[in-house]
Formats: sequence, C-alpha cells, structure tokens
Amino acid sequence: MAEELTLDGVEKEKVQYIVVSIGNEHYGLDISYVDNIVRMCKITRVPKAPFHYIGIINLRGEVVPLMSLRRKMKLDDDVFTDLSRIIILKTDEQGLIGVVVDEVKEVIALSTDEIDHNTKSSNTDKDNYINGIGKNGDELISIFELSSILDEVEAS
Amino acid sequence: MDVSQYLDIFIDETNGHIQDLSDSIMILEKEPENKDVINEIFRAAHSLKGMAGTMGFKKMQRLTHDMENLFSEIRNDNIKVNSALIDILFNCLDAIEEYLETVKATSNEGDNGNEALIQQLNDFLNGNHDAPAAEPAENEAAPVKDDADNADAKFLSIDVDDITCGKMKEAEQAGQNVYGLTVHIQKDCLLKAARAFLVFKAIEDFGEILVYSPSSQDIEDEKFDLDFSLIICSESQLDPILAAIKAVSEIEKVDADKVSYKDFEESEEEKPQETAVEETAAPAPASAPASKTAPAPQKSSSSNKAATTNKPVTARTVRVDIEKLDALMNQVSELIIAKNSLVSISDSEQNSEYNSQTFHDQIEYLERITTNLHESVMKVRMVPIESVVNKFPRMIRDLSRKLNKPMELYMSGEETELDRTVVDQIGDPLQHLLRNSADHGIESADERRKIGKPETGSIFLKAFQEGNNVIIEVRDDGAGINTERVKAKAIERGLVTEEQAENLSQKEIIDFLFMPSFSMAKQITDISGRGVGLDVVKSNIEALGGDVEVKSAMGQGTTFIVRLPLTLAIIQALMVEVRNEKYAIALGSIQNIENISVNDIKYVQAKEVIHLRGLVIPLIRLDELLDSAPKEDNPENLTVVVVKKGDNYAGIVVDNLIGQQEIVIKSLGKCIDNNKIINGATILGDGEVALILDVNAIF
Repeated sequence: MAEELTLDGVEKEKVQYIVVSIGNEHYGLDISYVDNIVRMCKITRVPKAPFHYIGIINLRGEVVPLMSLRRKMKLDDDVFTDLSRIIILKTDEQGLIGVVVDEVKEVIALSTDEIDHNTKSSNTDKDNYINGIGKNGDELISIFELSSILDEVEAS
Repeated sequence: MDVSQYLDIFIDETNGHIQDLSDSIMILEKEPENKDVINEIFRAAHSLKGMAGTMGFKKMQRLTHDMENLFSEIRNDNIKVNSALIDILFNCLDAIEEYLETVKATSNEGDNGNEALIQQLNDFLNGNHDAPAAEPAENEAAPVKDDADNADAKFLSIDVDDITCGKMKEAEQAGQNVYGLTVHIQKDCLLKAARAFLVFKAIEDFGEILVYSPSSQDIEDEKFDLDFSLIICSESQLDPILAAIKAVSEIEKVDADKVSYKDFEESEEEKPQETAVEETAAPAPASAPASKTAPAPQKSSSSNKAATTNKPVTARTVRVDIEKLDALMNQVSELIIAKNSLVSISDSEQNSEYNSQTFHDQIEYLERITTNLHESVMKVRMVPIESVVNKFPRMIRDLSRKLNKPMELYMSGEETELDRTVVDQIGDPLQHLLRNSADHGIESADERRKIGKPETGSIFLKAFQEGNNVIIEVRDDGAGINTERVKAKAIERGLVTEEQAENLSQKEIIDFLFMPSFSMAKQITDISGRGVGLDVVKSNIEALGGDVEVKSAMGQGTTFIVRLPLTLAIIQALMVEVRNEKYAIALGSIQNIENISVNDIKYVQAKEVIHLRGLVIPLIRLDELLDSAPKEDNPENLTVVVVKKGDNYAGIVVDNLIGQQEIVIKSLGKCIDNNKIINGATILGDGEVALILDVNAIF
C-alpha cells in the first residue's frame, strides 16, 4: 500500500477502500479491515442466530460467521449470483467475520478531503452505518463505518 | 550462579510443598500427637528452606527456617500443638505463598520481610523452649569420641572454603549444631557409593550437609577408599544422627564430634588453592550468597538478576508421565509408516483393483492411528483435579472459624482427570460454590442443634466421570434453598409479578439465584452476599462448555451439580440429518436409537412422549426446535435418538442417521454465541460445516 502511494506521488493521507456494490449503490470498505475476498461457498444456516447472520462458512478449515449487510441495513434479502463475493473482515474482538456483497468493483484510494462527512443527517437512524460519502470521479461511494457494524455484533 | 533456569521447577515444587504442608497441618490440627505427620511437615519445610536457599531467596529461606525450628521443637515434644500455633503456621504458609506469587511475577522474592510473623514464631519457640540443645549434645557426644581412634576422625582435616565456613558460622549463630563426621565402610562392601548415598539420605533427615570430603561427585563415582567425611549442621543432637547412620548396613563405624567454624578457618587460610574442589560439591554452596563472608558478590548477582529477568516467569507447564510420551512417539512413527504406505500405493502402477483394496486397508489403518493419537494427546493434556481441590480443605477450615460454624469438608474423586484448560478454570467456580455452601447452606451450630442435626455441618465435594462428562458435585447438609424467600425476593426486585411467581416451578425459582446481582444473604460478609457469585459460576462453567444444576430439599441441604466436558477439542459424534442440514450429537450423551411408529406417540400435558421399556420419554422434534422448513410428507415411522442427561431422558426426532464420526469442535465465534442449542461447529470431510447440538441445553 505504501508503495502504491509513493508511486502516485500524492498526499500520504490517502486511505484505500474496496468498492463493492450492494443493490444499485456503491459502498467502500476500509481495506485495513479486509483479510481477503472469497467466492460464495456453501453456507450452513445457524438456527436461532441473530437475524443478520446468514450462517457460517468453512474458510480453509476455520469456521467463520457470515453477516448480511443487506439484512443489517434492512434492504431486500440477498440474491446470490456468480458475482457475489464474501469479504472476510478481521476484527480484534471477534476474529474473522464474513460479509456478503453483490459485486466487488475495484480498489480506490481516497484522501480525507475527498470524503464528505457532513452527510450524517440521520444520526437518529440506528441502522445507519455510513460515516461519509467518498467521491471517485462522478461516482459517489458510501463509506461503511465498519467498527460500528462490527461493534454492534457484540450488542446483538 | 544463574539460577533463573531453575525458576520454573522451583515454582512448581514449592507449590507442591506448600500443598503438602497445608494438608499436613490440617491433619496435625486434628491429631496433634501424630508423629508421622510432624515428620512429614518437617521434611516439607526443610525442602522448602533448601530450595529457597538454593535460589537465593533469603527472606523466604529465613521464614521457612524459623518454621522448621518450630517443627523441630514440636517433633521433640518441647512444644505442644494448639490452635494458636496452627493459626501462625497457616499465616506463615500464606506468607510463603505470597513470596511465591511475587517470584512468579517478578522472579524476585520482594521486600516483605514478614518480621512480625518471624517474631511470632520465635516467641513460640522461646516461650516453650527451655534448654538449648547444644549442651547435652556435647555431653553425649563425648563417650563416642572416647572410643574413636583420633586418627580416624578425618573430618578434622577437611579443607573448608570460606563460603562454607561462613555457612557454618551462620548455622552456629542460628543455634544449630555443627558436627564433623567420618564414616567408615566395611572392607567387603560392594556398593560403596550406594551406602554413602543412604548415609546422606539419613543425615538429610536431620539437617544439612555442608561439606563433603571427597566431593559428593567423587563419592557418587566411588572415588574414595573406605571412609568419607562430612560436616553437617543440624538442630538435632548427635546420637540420633549416629544411630540413623549406623542403621545403614555395611557401615563399620562412625566417628563424629561437634566442630566449630573456628577449627577450619586457619587451615583454610593456609591452603586457599585447594578450596575450589569443595565448592562444586553440594547444591547448598550455590546459595552461598547467604554467607556473611561474601557480601559483595551477592549484591552484584542479585542486582544483575533484577535487571535481566524482571519479567513474569510463569510458564504454563504440564508434567507428563514419560509413558504417555512414549505412547505418543510410537503412534507418530506408525503415522509415518501409514503415510509411506499411502505414498507407495499412489506411486505403484499395478492393477487398480488390487490398489483400491490396499488403499482402503491403509485408510482404515490411518484412521485407527489418528484415533489412538488423539486419545494419547488428550491423555497428555489431562490432569487430575487434585491440584485445584487440594486447597479447599484449608479454605473451609478458615471459613469455619470466620463464620463460627463448625463444618467439615469431605472430598472424593480427586484423581478424576480433566483437560488442563478446564482444570485451570474450574477452581474459582468451585470455590464460589463451596463458599456458598459454607455461608448460606450450613446453619449455625445452635440452629442445627435445635433441629436435631449434628452440630458440625458437612460439605461434600465429589468428582466422577460419566460418559463424556465429568461431574463435580458440591453438596451440603444445610438448610436448603428457601424457595419462598427466593420467590419473595424475585417479586421484590420486580423480576416477576406475584401471579407469575405462583406458577413457577421449583427449578425456575432456583434459577433466579443464577441471575446477576441476586443475593439471598441477609448480610453482606466478605465471604459472600454481594451477589456476584452464582451468576459468575454459571457463566464460567458455561464458557467451559459445561452446565450447573441445583437440587435442593428444604432442611436437608443443597446439591450443586457441575457437569463438564471431558475434552474440549475432539469428540465422537453421531451425525444426523434434518431436512438437508447435518447436525452432530455427542455420542457420549446418546443412550440408544429407536424406530418409533407414529401411533406409539402418547400425549402428556399436550406434549408428545413415548413409552419405552418402562420409561416415559418426552419427544423433541428437532426440526421445530431448529426452525427448519416444515416437512412435506408425514412418515409412519420416526427415527428417535434417545439422549440422557443425568437421570433425564429425551427423544430427539431426526429425519435420517448418517453415521458415527470423530469430529473436531470449532467455536462459532462470539457473535453467534448466544445460541444455547448449538455449542459449536465442525468441518466435515467434504468441507461442509455441520453444527453440533448441545444436548444438555435441550432438557
């Protein structure tokens, strides 16, 4: 990552994001949380688990819980396609957690001034896990506040 | 000398000795005249002192030394055992334990000199101790000296280095007697070294050997003629020592006399070169910094140590029986052979029919080896719960005094083995339960007398294995749980309404006790009553994959039943299928498997049950329990897995049986952990994840 930044020759304060699509919107995930990205695999349903957990998967011999961002954000339920991917996030508290996305687009680097933090108008909405809007050319990318998504894991 | 590498062993062994001491002192309290126990105590205290000395922990050594003095007086019947004495001894033990904790944390013994304790010990010693042992010793030693030829008393010509000389001086100042001994072995003796060793053993029961001549290494290697000389220090008089030495067979005679460090100081100065030989002799000189003649090196070495090893040193170690390791090694070699066979099959190009046959054989072989290997590794991890429960008698004794209620702890099944991790973490919960029994369970002596119970309350701690579980029962014969009071308290705290409370079963009421900050104690004591007890117990035990059950009868007592899994990692399980989902049920909890016709299902209180060989077993539809998709057809026959928990049975209805399999338990992760029915997941051969049902949660 550091290498890429020096190649760009721009400000050091850039953060890299993985851009994914969920529904027809684009979202960015801070790359420092991402362990890796895997294709869809067999998901084992866990009865009585919190609603936003789809189940568990076998990630190279480890059991990893799988969370649905769609369910978390109260969108329509996931439809798995060939483009669907599981992004494995690493957390200090809970170890690995997978999230399902519709498609992985690209990796971009945004500096802090390219992210608009003033959009958090709906502070009262507890289902708002977005902490800013990033601008990548014409595209607008909602930046996930991953810590709050994962933190709530404990509360649930 | 750098002793930090021995720190682990020291900590380990000191723990052992403290435990021995604690046990023995408990016995001593009950049987003050028991000589065996006193000897046992003396030995343990002596070893403690020796080890502390070797490691250079002077304060610890001093404390144990004074304790040893006291024990020695007890042994010589100069002091009578009474409860004040026992109290002091226990305080001393606590202090030693404190030293040990400091050592564990910092690899240093800390600054606490425990002067007050030592003062107490010495008060006891002086208060009852009239005659110093030195005088009679000299008188009695005299006749021995008379019939000894002076030329045989070679101990007088031993070379003593200044460190040892300092030790002798110190021992003399501490009121110990220093003796010189020359032991002559019979001419036809075959195993001189063995005899010498027995002599050392005998002497070490009385005191410490300061100097060996020739060196202990040479004596061990039989590099001596027919005699060897020793300088020892001991509180004991000379006669019993001589008697002990002469009890060793093939000893011709022993010359001995009291000596003083002054006898050696001169000669040592004359031949300073030769002292080096002596130095390596005993482990004791390694602790030589204790001597006053060499204060400078001591300071530098201790400050050195502080700088280099000032970090926590508690390595987690398990002592493993060498046989278990050998078995493990054998299995690993078998594993390699099996692997090689598989490799050779894949290499060979013979006809495939034959190959698939041998391949199959080899797979079976491999399976057998991995099962054995697993078993062996588990065995290595297993430790008896002894190490945890051993401290409880002492705790109950202290509680008994503090609460002023006579009570007695009876333990059984201490040898029951559990996985190391479980054993490490089960201590606190058990302690809570015992305190609970002592504080809430057992009534005061007055009350007990009134209702015709024996005045002394009894608490039982019983551990045993049941299938794949280990059960630990904590039982008391106290008042039992007053469910009415619990109910009232629950209503008062707004947990249930009065109407709801009326309909609660006894079990549901008792479950309130496991709620956070729900304390029934009328008064808060430092023993219990703060309401951070049973809920912690429950969560701790559940974190280990176990559960707690309570049985209580008013006026007769309460039993807490803690159920723990034998191992944490791998279990034998039955794989079952519900719709398209696979689940594992631990084989240990399965009683049998039945094929039941739908017509045999009866109803009791609108719940499905089956009547099987005299047992009424409730049926649990797994698909309903797990919110599976509803079934399309209704088959005439149901496959029922009958599971058992304690005395309770339940029949689990499944769609299909897949078969028995060895599964590795994986955690679900914290986020889905609030799930009671599922206690883990496992990865099957095809990479699919299957969930493990927690049968205990179904009941």
